[in-house]
Amino acid sequence: MVVRKRSFIKTFFFWFFIALVIIFVAYPFAYMVSVSFRYDSDAFDSSLIPKNPTLSQYAQLLGFQESIRQEMSQEEQQLIKLLESLPEEQREQVMQNIQSQRRRESFPFLRWFGNSLLLAGLSALTSLIIGIFGAYSFSRVWYPGRNMVQRSVLLVYLVGGVILSVPLYDMFVRIGLTNTAGTSMFSLYIIYVIQTLPVSMYMLGNYFRTIPESIEEAALIDGSTRFGTIMRIIIPLSMPAIITVFIYAFMIGWNEYLFASIFIRPFPGSYTLPVGLREIFFSAHAVWAKMMAASVLTAVPVIAMFMAVEKYLTAGLTAGGVKE
Amino acid sequence: MTKYKELSSLKRKEAVFGWKLVSPAVILIGVFILYPVLYNIYLSFFEVSLTPGQSNKFVGLENYRRLLTDPTFWNSFGITLLFVAITVAGSILVGLGVALLMNKEFPGRGIVRALILFPYVAPVISTVFAWQYVLMPLNGPLTILLSNFGIMDITQDVVNNPNNAFLVVSFYSIWKNFPFIYLMILSRLQSISQDYYEAADIDGANGWQKFRHITLPELYYVLGSLVLLRGIWNFYKFEEVYLLSKEARTLPIYLYQTAFTGIPDLGVAAAIATVLFIVMMALITVYVKKVLKW
Repeated sequence: MVVRKRSFIKTFFFWFFIALVIIFVAYPFAYMVSVSFRYDSDAFDSSLIPKNPTLSQYAQLLGFQESIRQEMSQEEQQLIKLLESLPEEQREQVMQNIQSQRRRESFPFLRWFGNSLLLAGLSALTSLIIGIFGAYSFSRVWYPGRNMVQRSVLLVYLVGGVILSVPLYDMFVRIGLTNTAGTSMFSLYIIYVIQTLPVSMYMLGNYFRTIPESIEEAALIDGSTRFGTIMRIIIPLSMPAIITVFIYAFMIGWNEYLFASIFIRPFPGSYTLPVGLREIFFSAHAVWAKMMAASVLTAVPVIAMFMAVEKYLTAGLTAGGVKE
Repeated sequence: MTKYKELSSLKRKEAVFGWKLVSPAVILIGVFILYPVLYNIYLSFFEVSLTPGQSNKFVGLENYRRLLTDPTFWNSFGITLLFVAITVAGSILVGLGVALLMNKEFPGRGIVRALILFPYVAPVISTVFAWQYVLMPLNGPLTILLSNFGIMDITQDVVNNPNNAFLVVSFYSIWKNFPFIYLMILSRLQSISQDYYEAADIDGANGWQKFRHITLPELYYVLGSLVLLRGIWNFYKFEEVYLLSKEARTLPIYLYQTAFTGIPDLGVAAAIATVLFIVMMALITVYVKKVLKW
């Protein structure tokens, strides 16, 4: 009896702690999702279940529905009609005011989403390709200086973006890559590639070492070239690691704020999600419901990708360690 | 070390192949990481001008003198050390606790496991807004909850209060990063042989003794690595701190504000980056010597 009673208490505490962990982890997410399904007027309602659930925030962000802000612009259009009676110069003045107001109030979520997708996706892909060859080189091919290369990669993997921000900004300004929206995006692309390259190489290198060399030797004897074995044997066998590394690199680009804020601040059309959302957050007044809907939409692609490969994740992470 | 010239032709071919494969990575890392690190040290001795045609002015140690005599810098430095200490200790403790809990079989474990990764994989910008919402003054659900317990004042904006912003940021960072620690510890836990525990059971050891004498020593190496890695990463953590609260003035925020807001002072910012770099290299040296044992 004594033993059973003790195990009951144990079981109770066990589930109590599990519940505690779940609440700790899920608390902010629960409110994020809940508020995203509300009207702006209900945003501060403290109950977790929305009283008048609505999809309108999502519909507006994704462009299915005109937002109140845009509808108000019809009022502005009427104003513009009235303006036609004004003299030329004055009219231009007022028009400019309206336009700058409009720009400040618009929330081009899809555009920022696209920019982030493009930058994070392309840079992760580039870093993955360069990383596969680099990692194969130092984990499989022998040459003088190999250990040095490998150790430098490990050290560089620990260097942070903040330390590089001043010299990289200075370098890119001097070679003139910050003058237009396009070149600024290109600068960011390069920076994201180099920020993710060390982690890609490190994780991939660790994974490649777990593939038995005998498989490769067999292919070589059968007349495959060295390059051919990478394409036909190493890459297919490393798919779990390659996918994990891609998602990791993607996430670094998707999250990046420091360089994005430095390079594309002057070009609102090129904003990435972190820069754009933060800009909106500080300029507009209490648009909580929409901010939460935008947060959910920003989180969904990354979380979905991670959950899809969750079973590889533990292996990939623990084999390689991971950088943020 | 074997020299290139002494290699047989087959090995030479292999060496050339190896270098070719790794060269794009080496060039990129050299040009955009190693060179900037050195260039940054160089810049820290100059008054940097980004106006075309106007060259940098050499000022010797002036930037460092200004930095080291600035009380804001020392304040930031102290906050950074506190932030690193709290977040490393906190995330390791939470991560270890959760890993021990999740090491047991129970119904629904798969779902809980997936859920635990959410804070780590969700984008910083999304989770930051969620925490700002629950912690906002007057209406934030967590603010209301905590003020009911008398822990905080309902009218207080804890996130943007310079006095305790770094505590909120530390808490957020623990929440965000403990899943990484948990994953690492859990995978190590699962590789500990059950024989040890069975032997301990026969000797009549209790739960605490088993933890103290079997689990902890087995985790020693991984815990050591995690402390240092998290220490290094949190030392120059930018996004998580800045996006949640500008008022948590750690060194990276101080650097960012010096370099890129108001009147930009890239020379002083370069000096801050150099200080960060030196501290980080010290930590890395410890990491390499003690943990990796090179």
